[in-house]
Amino acid sequence: MSGAGRLTRARRRLGLPGLPSSRRDLRLVARTVRLVLGVPRYAAGSVAVALLALSGFVLSQNVALVRDTVIGGSLPLNARLTILVEQYPFVGTSYEPAAGAMLVVVAALTGANVAVAAYHLREHGVLGRETGEDGTGDGERADGQASAGRGTAGNAAGGAGSVVGVVLGALGAGCAACGSAVLAGLLSLAGGSGLLLALPFEGLEFTLIALVPLLLSLFWLADGMRGAEIRGCPVDV
Amino acid sequence: MQRTRRSAIAAIAAAGLGGVAGCLGGGASGDDSGGNGGTPIDQHPATAGLTDQPSLGSVDAPATVVAFEDPSCPTCRNFERNAGARLRSGPVADGDLRFVSRVFPIVYPWGKSAVQALEAVYARDGADAVYWDLFAHYFATQSDLNGDNVLDRTESWLASNADLDAAAVVADAESEAYDFAVEADLDAGEAAGTDRTPTLYLFRDGTYVTKASGSVSYETVASALQL
Repeated sequence: MSGAGRLTRARRRLGLPGLPSSRRDLRLVARTVRLVLGVPRYAAGSVAVALLALSGFVLSQNVALVRDTVIGGSLPLNARLTILVEQYPFVGTSYEPAAGAMLVVVAALTGANVAVAAYHLREHGVLGRETGEDGTGDGERADGQASAGRGTAGNAAGGAGSVVGVVLGALGAGCAACGSAVLAGLLSLAGGSGLLLALPFEGLEFTLIALVPLLLSLFWLADGMRGAEIRGCPVDV
Repeated sequence: MQRTRRSAIAAIAAAGLGGVAGCLGGGASGDDSGGNGGTPIDQHPATAGLTDQPSLGSVDAPATVVAFEDPSCPTCRNFERNAGARLRSGPVADGDLRFVSRVFPIVYPWGKSAVQALEAVYARDGADAVYWDLFAHYFATQSDLNGDNVLDRTESWLASNADLDAAAVVADAESEAYDFAVEADLDAGEAAGTDRTPTLYLFRDGTYVTKASGSVSYETVASALQL
């Protein structure tokens, strides 16, 4: 047996979720996200979570500034609003375009991740059943039951992956946004401050790494939803 | 059942947001839990020994920025290219702002040698302007500098651009003759809660307003100080 085969067997024996291995898997993720975000309230929720995540990323970099001038202090309203919006990528100067774009991507993926996880939990009966929620129909519930009954490994992995993805994604994006000084501190604690010299993008690499758990958790969620329907459309075609 | 499901969703949301807050809180600055709002400028730890520091603008300006920067820090370079340049050509030139420089070398190793050279330059009589020009030169050539060449290149630049004994300045940097000045800045920064660069401490009418870290925009500083 090949090394890859042995790894797959070991993964299955341990009940670990699979990894995307084909273009079909990527299409599954894209289709699942598109279908979930086609439901207005999940789309709104996704945008809200993405904005929340982005705000968390950028405002936490200057807590004192926000606390002293936006929330507290005696500045006029327009000055408070100016300071607030200037902390965001592409508005202020805190982030280079590449870093800003990565932060937006991580925030958007976080929003999509939470929306898909919430949809899966609420509509597919992973943790129980809510009736008549949005008129999606009995067919969906039946598929949800089928999905839940087909195997809990994918569902559990999707739910856990979502949490892991969001948390790790936040960590990764946060580290990149902290700037190289914090990164140097972290690396020196780990005895590897010289690694910083080898990072050509001064920490942006950490944001790229953050995309991995976010995309994986989206795949695990979509994988756990195979056989189910969203808005009357089958997830897996 | 419904309650269980909602509890689970709430728990996931809380875990995610907790992760965001927790992870990113670590990147935030040191005194974020408290703050020194309203502290008189002469009692704030960031201003210890302020009169000995390089500064631009009128000492009687209504607003003051104390900037802790590292010449090897890319974020400091970005700040200087954007907000720093506009602050100096605008409010500083107009007499509305005093911009004070303090060194805080914590990013790349060559920054430590560079700040020794900066302090050695500033210690020379009449070399205030050279200090600022050398700082700008370090930012402009950041990607070309390293621990092996920074002092050689400093000497070459000083010899070509300043009326100073370049070799003597570099000798002082190598022997860390002005390390006390670097240490004074590091002590002031650490006492004030600086843990990244650049970090700016903003004062208005003799009173601490807030601090801002990273390559914050001109509009951020101008709005906070009502310039």
